[in-house]
Amino acid sequence: MMMMRRTALAAALVAVGLSVGLVFGLAGAQSSAGAPPIKIGWLVALTGPNSTPGIGQDRGIRYAADQINKTGGVMGRKIEIVSRDTQGDPTKAVNAALEVINNDKVEFTIGPTNSGECLATQPVIARYKVPSFPIGVVDSLIDTVKFPYSFRVSNNNTQWQEAVLTYAVKVLKAKKIGIIGDTTGYGTMSVNLSEQLLKAQGGVSITYKGEVEANQTDVMADIRKAQSSGAEVMIVWTDSAGLNSRLMNARAELNWNVPFVGHPVLGAGAVKPLLAKPENWKSVYNVGYRPMSFDENGKLPEKSQRFVDTVSSAGVKLDDTMLWWVGLGVDTIQLIKDTVEAAKSSKPDDVKRVLEAGKTFHGVYCTSCTYSSTNHNGYPTEDVVMNRADSFRAGAYGIAPGYGK
Amino acid sequence: MVVTILVAGIATGAIYAMIGLSYNMMYSTSKVVSFTPGQLGMIGAVFGAWFIGVLGFPLWLGFLGAMGVAVVYGFFTELVAVRPVLKSIEQHLYVLTTLAAALMVQQVVAIWWGTDPRPFPILFGLGAGLSSEKYWLPVVACFLAFIGLELFYRKTLWGAAFIAVAEDAEAARALGIPDARIRVVSYCLAAFIGALAGFWGGQLLLAFFAIGATLTFYGFVPIAMGGLGSNRGALIGGFFLGILQQVANYFVGGVFVGVVTFVVFITLLLLVPGGLFGSAVARRV
Repeated sequence: MMMMRRTALAAALVAVGLSVGLVFGLAGAQSSAGAPPIKIGWLVALTGPNSTPGIGQDRGIRYAADQINKTGGVMGRKIEIVSRDTQGDPTKAVNAALEVINNDKVEFTIGPTNSGECLATQPVIARYKVPSFPIGVVDSLIDTVKFPYSFRVSNNNTQWQEAVLTYAVKVLKAKKIGIIGDTTGYGTMSVNLSEQLLKAQGGVSITYKGEVEANQTDVMADIRKAQSSGAEVMIVWTDSAGLNSRLMNARAELNWNVPFVGHPVLGAGAVKPLLAKPENWKSVYNVGYRPMSFDENGKLPEKSQRFVDTVSSAGVKLDDTMLWWVGLGVDTIQLIKDTVEAAKSSKPDDVKRVLEAGKTFHGVYCTSCTYSSTNHNGYPTEDVVMNRADSFRAGAYGIAPGYGK
Repeated sequence: MVVTILVAGIATGAIYAMIGLSYNMMYSTSKVVSFTPGQLGMIGAVFGAWFIGVLGFPLWLGFLGAMGVAVVYGFFTELVAVRPVLKSIEQHLYVLTTLAAALMVQQVVAIWWGTDPRPFPILFGLGAGLSSEKYWLPVVACFLAFIGLELFYRKTLWGAAFIAVAEDAEAARALGIPDARIRVVSYCLAAFIGALAGFWGGQLLLAFFAIGATLTFYGFVPIAMGGLGSNRGALIGGFFLGILQQVANYFVGGVFVGVVTFVVFITLLLLVPGGLFGSAVARRV
């Protein structure tokens, strides 16, 4: 009797063992047949007031993922973009980051797409050790100690500042400089940073420094004050199309032909209809990127032109967005692909090791992106240049005079 | 420079004063401080720009169209956000309902019109520089609105009924005055005046969904300074605020404009708690 019970128990255990083995075996066979995708969390403001860049970057991200998937993916693994619309809201961005990391188990994150959101999400993403590529210019978003798995493909604010100040001092040869910005955190921070950098540089005097509310109805008094200070160049730091256009209109009303040099929004399409006259846009230079700028003959660099032709023929719209936004999206996906292939792994530590090894990535927007263990900002400073604000066409600007060939 | 500051300050002050008049008009018949007057200014600017600048309507038709949209919004504000909560006014639920009405219209306009500012058309093309119409049109509109309201209150039967409801709605109702209808009309009239600010000040404000919040905020300061319910106070408070902002911006910088404004505002209220033209309401006992 006892013998029979033992035999039955042993048989049952064998049956359970076989069943479990069969289940796991089948599961194993399934995963080797179709490798799991590389999931990339894409935190992007697609709606709301700050959504314009995100819409352009989204086109690049999706185009690049499609192209890679069509040609076999990354080591046989497809790229799956898991996107969440953050609406430009830091709280929603944090929730979206937690969701894609915990629920969707993404292996990388890209975004969020503005600095305010990135400041909120960076510490959260860092806690999970997920390699991330934030899109924001605030310098503190990249910190190899606080956020060791974060890498920036785009430029940072200091690079914008350097391009603007270098152009004002070395190309326009200004000795007396005025600085104006809006009263937002970004505006005041940028005005103060320009002042500090110019003072440290020496050889120029800051004759005017002012901050104006972005919705201030009239800026005539501010511009008159700047004019009477004798400023030879005005450095402008505001992302408000309304304020930028008011400043340009006031400058024209006073017949003051001082150049404006500064923020990319100086050249935004939204500025144009707000100008009292189209010529008010003359002598205005917005910060941009050499690979995404037309030369004096109206031609893009050869590689960029090929990129434009390729993405346009694939149906990606470029005329209502910035070329560099689309390029940034493509480069980020391509960088992830190249890194995973070089590391032969998508594990965070392997990805970090390969990126920090110093190999240069050659993208279309970030033409020589290089990282190290102490520097996770990849964009080359020499490629941050000034553009002519009134020269926008087909997603790009003409390079400002003074850069040569 | 003084002239530049004064001209810009007076023009901006006229816009604030009209928003203040709109606040007063709503408050007088409902005793509700509604959060919608700033959005009425936004509606005046955005719909004025749409009718005239985009659809190509003539000025008079564009003006009537923008005012019409604002009046409809004012009507629904009273119907949806004010009337249902009047019975429990001591709970101040109107703060939530009128704020919701303001936010809703702002979001709808942002989705439809876009989130970038757009130009407001030049209406007459008169003047240039500091004599440009963009500076004096809001001032003229403000004075016409103020005088029109005074005449309305003093010379018309409806105006007398307004004053009766404003002073004591229950007593007015006992006398046969249709206080509910008067309140509806006051919200429509307040909407008209608020939209005037946006329409005639549109060349300064631009057609931008976000100006509503700014106007709601700065439009309230004049009536608090001048005394809630006092049109004369709103007028003088509005001009004072406009000039104060420009002076503060010029001498201490834009970052401190808000600080200076509220230091003056709070000091004034500490010295004259009822506002410059406010008066204690006498009640029959």
